[in-house]
Amino acid sequence: MPSAADLLILLPTVALAFGACVLLLSEAFLECRNRGYQAAVAAGAAGLALSLALLQIAEPVTLSNDSLFRTVVQPDLFQSFIVATVSGGLLLSVLLSKGFLRARDAERGEYYALLLFAASGMTLLAMAADLVLVFIALEIMSLATYALSAWLRRDKRATEAALKYFLLGAFSSALYLYGVALAYGATGSTQLAELPKATLNPWIGGPAIALISVGFAFKVAAVPFHMWAPDVYEGAPTPVTAFMAVGVKAAAFAAFFRTIAVAFGGAPQHWGPVVEALAILSMIVGNLLALPQQNVKRMLAYSSIAHAGYALVGLSSASVYAGRVAGAEGLLFYLAAYTVAAVGAFGIAAVIERNELDAEKAWDLERFAGLAQRRPVLALFMAVFLLSLAGIPATAGFMGKLLVFRAGLDAGQLALVIVGVVTSAIAAYYYLRVIVSMYFHAPPGETEDLDRSAATSWGLGLACAAVVVLGIGPGTVMEIARRGAELLF
Amino acid sequence: MSHHLLDIVIFTPLLFAAVVALLPAGERNQLRAATLAGSLVSFATTIALYLAFDPSAGAPEFQLELNRPWIASLGIGYHVGVDGLAASLILLTGLLGPVAVLSTWSAVQTRVKELCLALLVLQTAMYGTFAALDLALFYVFWELMLVPMYLLIGVWGGENRVYAAVKFFLYTFAGSVLMLVAILFLYVKSGAGDARTFDYVSLLRALNDPDSGMALAWSARKWLFAAFALAFAVKVPMFPLHTWLPDAHVQAPAAGSIILAGVLLKMGAFGFLRYAMPLFPDAAAWARPTLVALAVVGIVYGSLMALAQKDLKKLIAYSSVAHLGFVMLGILAMTVASSTGAMYQMLNHGISTGALFLLVGILYERTHTRSISDYGGIAKVVPMFAFAFMVVLLSSIGLPGTNGFVGELLILAGAFAAPFTIGAAAPGVELGALNMPLWTAVATSGVVLGAVYMLRMYQRVMFGPLRHQENRALADLKLREWLAVGPLLALVVVMGVMPQPFLDRLDPSAKRFVERVGGEPAQGAAAFRLVGVPPAELLSPAAAPQVVRVAQEPEPAVQPANLATEKLPMLPARLRDPKLLEAVKQRARDIGTTP
Repeated sequence: MPSAADLLILLPTVALAFGACVLLLSEAFLECRNRGYQAAVAAGAAGLALSLALLQIAEPVTLSNDSLFRTVVQPDLFQSFIVATVSGGLLLSVLLSKGFLRARDAERGEYYALLLFAASGMTLLAMAADLVLVFIALEIMSLATYALSAWLRRDKRATEAALKYFLLGAFSSALYLYGVALAYGATGSTQLAELPKATLNPWIGGPAIALISVGFAFKVAAVPFHMWAPDVYEGAPTPVTAFMAVGVKAAAFAAFFRTIAVAFGGAPQHWGPVVEALAILSMIVGNLLALPQQNVKRMLAYSSIAHAGYALVGLSSASVYAGRVAGAEGLLFYLAAYTVAAVGAFGIAAVIERNELDAEKAWDLERFAGLAQRRPVLALFMAVFLLSLAGIPATAGFMGKLLVFRAGLDAGQLALVIVGVVTSAIAAYYYLRVIVSMYFHAPPGETEDLDRSAATSWGLGLACAAVVVLGIGPGTVMEIARRGAELLF
Repeated sequence: MSHHLLDIVIFTPLLFAAVVALLPAGERNQLRAATLAGSLVSFATTIALYLAFDPSAGAPEFQLELNRPWIASLGIGYHVGVDGLAASLILLTGLLGPVAVLSTWSAVQTRVKELCLALLVLQTAMYGTFAALDLALFYVFWELMLVPMYLLIGVWGGENRVYAAVKFFLYTFAGSVLMLVAILFLYVKSGAGDARTFDYVSLLRALNDPDSGMALAWSARKWLFAAFALAFAVKVPMFPLHTWLPDAHVQAPAAGSIILAGVLLKMGAFGFLRYAMPLFPDAAAWARPTLVALAVVGIVYGSLMALAQKDLKKLIAYSSVAHLGFVMLGILAMTVASSTGAMYQMLNHGISTGALFLLVGILYERTHTRSISDYGGIAKVVPMFAFAFMVVLLSSIGLPGTNGFVGELLILAGAFAAPFTIGAAAPGVELGALNMPLWTAVATSGVVLGAVYMLRMYQRVMFGPLRHQENRALADLKLREWLAVGPLLALVVVMGVMPQPFLDRLDPSAKRFVERVGGEPAQGAAAFRLVGVPPAELLSPAAAPQVVRVAQEPEPAVQPANLATEKLPMLPARLRDPKLLEAVKQRARDIGTTP
């Protein structure tokens, strides 16, 4: 008999979906004009999901043998780690959204509901153990984010971004689905646990793996499937961009890893070289295209492509037996490290952007000029986030890079690691440029009052603390990532 | 207490940084006073550390060690400890701390709080870099130094500061990332599973022990050495990677220049002595001819460039390139005398160049120009300043009686007698040979040029008619400035006439270094215990280069397998070729070193 304990695995997802429903109902039934509580409800749901995920990490859940979910979800530490990362990213994004939306008079319950729905899709994606559930979760996540990118519907860029995202996203979903169909044809099953047992026909299995990889490569914005990312990231409301950059990436990488490296782990010849090429291209192209950007938000978008490349190093290492545990560990930690730093950096871009009507100038580098004198704490936070993205020691980003590069060396992929470190040196230049602007340039004559809402300050403060903690005392988190990686195989 | 001494040394500045962070930003004098107090307390802790270090021959190499796990799952430990060199450099860092703070007292009026924080955090990072005995910890501190230094140049620097700051950061960062790959590579190769480690002491042991199972291929050793060497060569800086230095020095505020020249450049030489060469001795021997050539080119090029400069700070910056070339020559000669000299010269350069930048900073604060032509004849107006400047300048030139002389003499004499080739030929290992007396002779021209550019600059700044009327009202050194300059002047003289206490602490480090890299102790090194008397046998033809003598008495052919285990430096197999031997002999005859 299925027992109630089997539902424990779904608790974070349920918490998020329930919160989303409450928020939808609040718009329908409550006449109250004051929407201040909505962010609190959303943050509460995100915090609850985060705590549940942490509980799952402390006290791993198991499914009974006859559970209904047995074949579709995998209740392991790997998924708990990703669920915690996604919920943490969601919590920070919600905190950053409040002031942003209020300043644009766009605060509605549906916004938070969509964020929560997207996050619930992400949590499902992290735990899915069946190619069909992966697809459903992918769509739950994507549909919500398509809508979110067009949230500021009077903004032409946002509409354009949403349309682009939708068309290319639907396209990639179709490719993924085609891959699933071929995989079913090649192996006779869609369950990830069954795939390794089947003998793979190279003429069907190869294209199946390729198409599934392309589908995921679109979602994580790896070169050459990154074309949509800069426009979408730039056009979407900044807090949404923050959540898309970290949440979608973390969840899609989790499913990518589970599908490719675990289920098809026995056939690395079909995907190892491809993933290696994706990683090298993403690191080089992402960083080189970020170099000339004057628009900080767009720069962060390109840097997000480059970071997908670094995370792919972890995935690529898993194509070699010696590097697979280290690869999974590195990937998990990297995603957590990127989440806190990128949400923070996009969050500050959102603060800077406030009250700015001219879209062309909204995130111009010049708007950061003299921030260190206008808002020293804000500038310090931004500097910490950027240094973490650049991978300077004592920040989360350095530890993440250390782990993925270690995995690369474990797998004997020296070329990948060298490309990685050389491109990080290139990346330091464009991150430094923002620091130069904040610290070395004088503020412009007129200084407008930037957002000082408490929620934003809390969000940025938490993100900054997380970056420093993960940089100086990453022991516990690394230990969890490692156990999660070990249990995966 | 004493077993936490290193913790106290490393984290005292950080503690004071926390205090400074809590003070109001408007109270500039309070901020400065707190920072000065912090740097003085920190200096006191470094003196305690220096005195606690036991230099006797039987003492362990690394003392005051602390080893606790930091990130256990990665095998990263918070492992710190000092050898004589590290203790001396930490003392130098501690000494220059208050000097740098005093130099900013009136020169910096904007964003004082951030400046104080940057100086204190930088201090902690520098102590950590010298004390780290774990490669990952070392890398963390090494990169951590970049950020405050970058801010020092970029926020409080001159008119072209942003360019200089970014250039400084990118050069150093790009140099270091490959070192990170090398560190990770060593870690991955250091064992299996949880046995892997970043610990320097274990890695050093494993790398040089053929039974440890960590035998790396020759090509891997070469590349690893190259990665480490690149990171350190940028920092030294060695020609042709020096171009960030003049920009950074010219644009940095006086405090930045003092720390940059005084301590940060030493990090590069320290890296060669501690990491690059002992970890990969045969690769170091292989790269030695190239590196010696670059060091000597750096000496001559730096001196010639200094000769051409019209800007005081740029002149000192290029003189640093030349001086660090001497340090590198001393390290690469791989004799006890020359490497002791190189270590001593590292301290000397920190003191003399730190003092030069301090004095130029004092002058700049009064006149707001660094151009040599804007001065002339000011010795009459500011006699005390001229006196201090002269003492420091003589130390920089290496006049006997000053500390600079001791270091330069040891380096040059040691390098002159250094073996042509280092290490044992093993199958697949290529060794290079070079004519050390010749290269040393070329390097010595740097000493002459040094005197020329320094004295010429002094003459044009201090003597002659007072050409610029606005210089008539220049104020002489104030008490606060004396407090900063005075200790440095005293050290110049003390370390010049009484070098032994300082050399004693460097001696064990130098001996271990030479032993590890397989260099030969130079003959008559003991004679250097009485510095000032150049050992006659070193300069006599009897000490002529190894290679010639070996050539005259060819050893019986030894199987390559035995060669590998042979401890003494050997002639590379390649040089056994009779044609090559003849060519080497011919070259030796040409330069007149044949007995």
